[in-house]
Amino acid sequence: MKILVPTKRVPDTDQKIVASADGLRVETDHIPHVINPFDAIAVEEAVRISERLRDVEVVAVGIGGPEYEQPLRTALAMGAARGIIVQCAKPLDPWNVSRLLKAIVERETPDLVLMGKQAVDDDANQTGQFLAALLDWPQATFASRLEFIGNELRVDRETDHGIETLTLTLPALVTTDLRLNEPRYASMAGIMKARKKPLETIAAGELGVPLEPRVEVIRYRSGDTRRAGERLASLDEFAALIAQAAGIGG
Amino acid sequence: MAPALLAEITTSAQPPLLTREIFGNIPAWARLLFYAAAIVAIGLWTYGLYRRVRRWRRGRPAGRIRLNVVIRRLLRDVLLQNRFRGRPFAGTAHVLLFSGFMVLLLGTILVGVEHWLADLLGRAPNDPVFHKGVYFGIYELVTDTFGIAFIIGCGMFLLRRIRGQGSFDRSAGTTGIVTLLLVIGVTGYLVEGLRILLAATPLPGLSPIGFVCAKGFAAAGVESDSARTMHFTLWWLHAALALGFVAWMPYSRMMHALAGTVNLVLRDHPLGEMRPVSLEEVETTGLIGVATIEDFTRSQLVELDACVSCGRCQDTCPAFEAGKPLSPRNVVQDLLAAMNAPSRPSARLPGHVIADETLWSCTTCQACADICPLGISPMRMITDLRRNLIGEGALRGSPATALQKTDRAGNPWGMSGAERMAWAAGLDVPLARDHADFDVLYWVGCAAAYDRRVQRIARSVVQLLKAANVNFAVLGPEERCTGESARRMGDELLFQQLAEQNVSTLGQRGVRKIVAHCPHCVNSLRRDYPQMGGQYEVVHHSELLAELIAEDRLPKATSTTNGRVITFHDPCYLARANDITAAPREVLAAAVNGNGALPIVELPRNRRDTSCCGGGGGRMWFDDPPAQRVGQSRVQEIAASRATTLAVACPFCMIMLGDGLAARASNVEVKDIAEVLLESLNPPSGSGEP
Repeated sequence: MKILVPTKRVPDTDQKIVASADGLRVETDHIPHVINPFDAIAVEEAVRISERLRDVEVVAVGIGGPEYEQPLRTALAMGAARGIIVQCAKPLDPWNVSRLLKAIVERETPDLVLMGKQAVDDDANQTGQFLAALLDWPQATFASRLEFIGNELRVDRETDHGIETLTLTLPALVTTDLRLNEPRYASMAGIMKARKKPLETIAAGELGVPLEPRVEVIRYRSGDTRRAGERLASLDEFAALIAQAAGIGG
Repeated sequence: MAPALLAEITTSAQPPLLTREIFGNIPAWARLLFYAAAIVAIGLWTYGLYRRVRRWRRGRPAGRIRLNVVIRRLLRDVLLQNRFRGRPFAGTAHVLLFSGFMVLLLGTILVGVEHWLADLLGRAPNDPVFHKGVYFGIYELVTDTFGIAFIIGCGMFLLRRIRGQGSFDRSAGTTGIVTLLLVIGVTGYLVEGLRILLAATPLPGLSPIGFVCAKGFAAAGVESDSARTMHFTLWWLHAALALGFVAWMPYSRMMHALAGTVNLVLRDHPLGEMRPVSLEEVETTGLIGVATIEDFTRSQLVELDACVSCGRCQDTCPAFEAGKPLSPRNVVQDLLAAMNAPSRPSARLPGHVIADETLWSCTTCQACADICPLGISPMRMITDLRRNLIGEGALRGSPATALQKTDRAGNPWGMSGAERMAWAAGLDVPLARDHADFDVLYWVGCAAAYDRRVQRIARSVVQLLKAANVNFAVLGPEERCTGESARRMGDELLFQQLAEQNVSTLGQRGVRKIVAHCPHCVNSLRRDYPQMGGQYEVVHHSELLAELIAEDRLPKATSTTNGRVITFHDPCYLARANDITAAPREVLAAAVNGNGALPIVELPRNRRDTSCCGGGGGRMWFDDPPAQRVGQSRVQEIAASRATTLAVACPFCMIMLGDGLAARASNVEVKDIAEVLLESLNPPSGSGEP
């Protein structure tokens, strides 16, 4: 079995993110980047499957510049067998990411695509769904549990109303939610040990996918900085304040 | 009895010569048989030792040690048995047994030398070379006295086994060997008594115990003939058992006498120091840390053979006390079993021979390494195994996140380096990059930079430094985590990356002297950084404050304390790893002496015997539920003391013990020694919130 895990490189969420002065981009130059946490969960799950079952190959993919070596090396250190960087300098919207990924899927012919439900930078939550539609594959989003039963994949997915359990036939696409697993730590030593694993670079142009942006970013604006708190004397005062804010007198 | 013996010594008839015949009553054939048996015994001993040495040689070569160090350790740690702490009964038993054994061994060797010389010079049996006269008198008295020490020591050890309390190993083999030693000692006296009876040795009172035995035999009516037979039989029993002991020694727990001596003399790891890993080696071998027995150093494999499983380490281990699945003794014993296992290739150790959970339970408090009379460091084995686990990616959850954050942001809180000076708001703290002319660099550390409670320690320290007109600066946004926690969790490469950055920054800023309020930072800058090319004079703030107090550079304390009672918790990395116990007490004494009304009480476990708060070795980043945290019994100990204020000298201790006391709804307030001192100087304003 082959599992393909698309990954995205995102700014570290612990850092303060601000929009550039002209509002055209986010200031990320001096900010550390990480593998998208949901994608790390997808890598972890794929590696666990490869540890549980025989003959499972885990392939991690990233679309972007040479800086993608870092998140992909992390995926290799976590246990992926090889990595692919699709070289592309242009910023892409989820639709075009999905189209490039479709080309990679056709090239790699995986049995399962496992990916984060969304990236923590733009929180679009679209790529997995687009990709499944483009491939015309069954999909299960927001997975919190995965189990192979025979040739089928049983997935628990987290919905607003509770856990929904689906059975998918392979090939299939699953997007991962927070509670699926706790990813292992890819230390520098682990990354060093994984240095011998192959990391291939493909130019996006070679995939024969004409890029057609559908979403255009008009402006970025920094969120309001949190205001300082205020110490109140009593619970009554607090209740009055809440009532006032809600416009119900008091 | 004593006056009677004295009478015997002074009134006995003038003998022609004060000596005894060696091999008296032992015919020539029996002597030959004895020598043949001795050769066999020594052969077995040599083979046993060779087998062990061959196992040790499977490890990596260890560092070399200077001869003067070897001699000093041989005298102090081995011959003077200087490393016993706690367990007075067992310690006394060992000193008695050991001293008796050594004297009797020496005595036996001297008799052997005499016999060999006499043979060489063709002396008659009653004409010894040196085994006579005053020498003989002293010899008899000394060996007889130490023989009793030996027997008492054996007896005490056996008694302890019968009573059956304590965590020491009670395997039949070990009980057997102690019993064997006891029987050898007793038969020695019986043989001596019969010899005195038979040969009418002059001045028999010089061997008081042997003489009492002789009197006993006489009183029991033992005739000359039967005495001869008894002597011959018991002599053989004594000889056979002694030779049996020699042969058995390297196959039994008594091996600790040899391996322990080697280890005590050659060990190359001061507390608080870790063995560096070379990046090139990791790159070429693809291996980091210890995966199999062969990856330990030879000196660590000697340590495994030195262990007698006494359990002192287990008794002192805070993780074991907290119910974690870690016993340092079991770690060593399991590794010993792995070393002795015949299977090749050797078994993988981390995760197999030693469970991951066991390895992650250690707080690296070093209590085990410090208490071990044989100088074994289970902690170092654990951190070596952790290095391998980290390389394998076998860490998840909150501690893994802390390491990721340290990697990305330069601190385990993951917060931006730009926010490193938030603690100093309104205090006008000079930055090293703007103020090149400073004398001492104040190393603030991540906890004081980002933890709201610990920030108050840094605020107190700078106010004290300013009050004493110390010309200091801080690195501010240029400071990174020392990597101490990462290194002790096993993430050696992350440590090296951080240390390289810090060494470069410290070099750029021309730093020579550093003060830090965190013992982990102090220990890392002192012990880890020289390995990375950073040499500084590093002091803990307790040392600098004590010095400022002694030099009268701080105002006198003026506080009124309203019956507050203060106690002090020694941090492991201060008291044990760096032997600093007086300075923090001097600082507290100065704070108290302002009015004399603030008594200091000591906790039951203090100074080097302190017990870990549970925050070291990366445990700070594990999210145990409060009741399962290491250090809960320490919290209880503090809550049960009379203290109303707990003074600490380490941010980890402040957080861990503070959380623990809060979880118990205890009213004990937790303050750093710098906060206590500052409050005593200006009571009305206090230290001020950031």
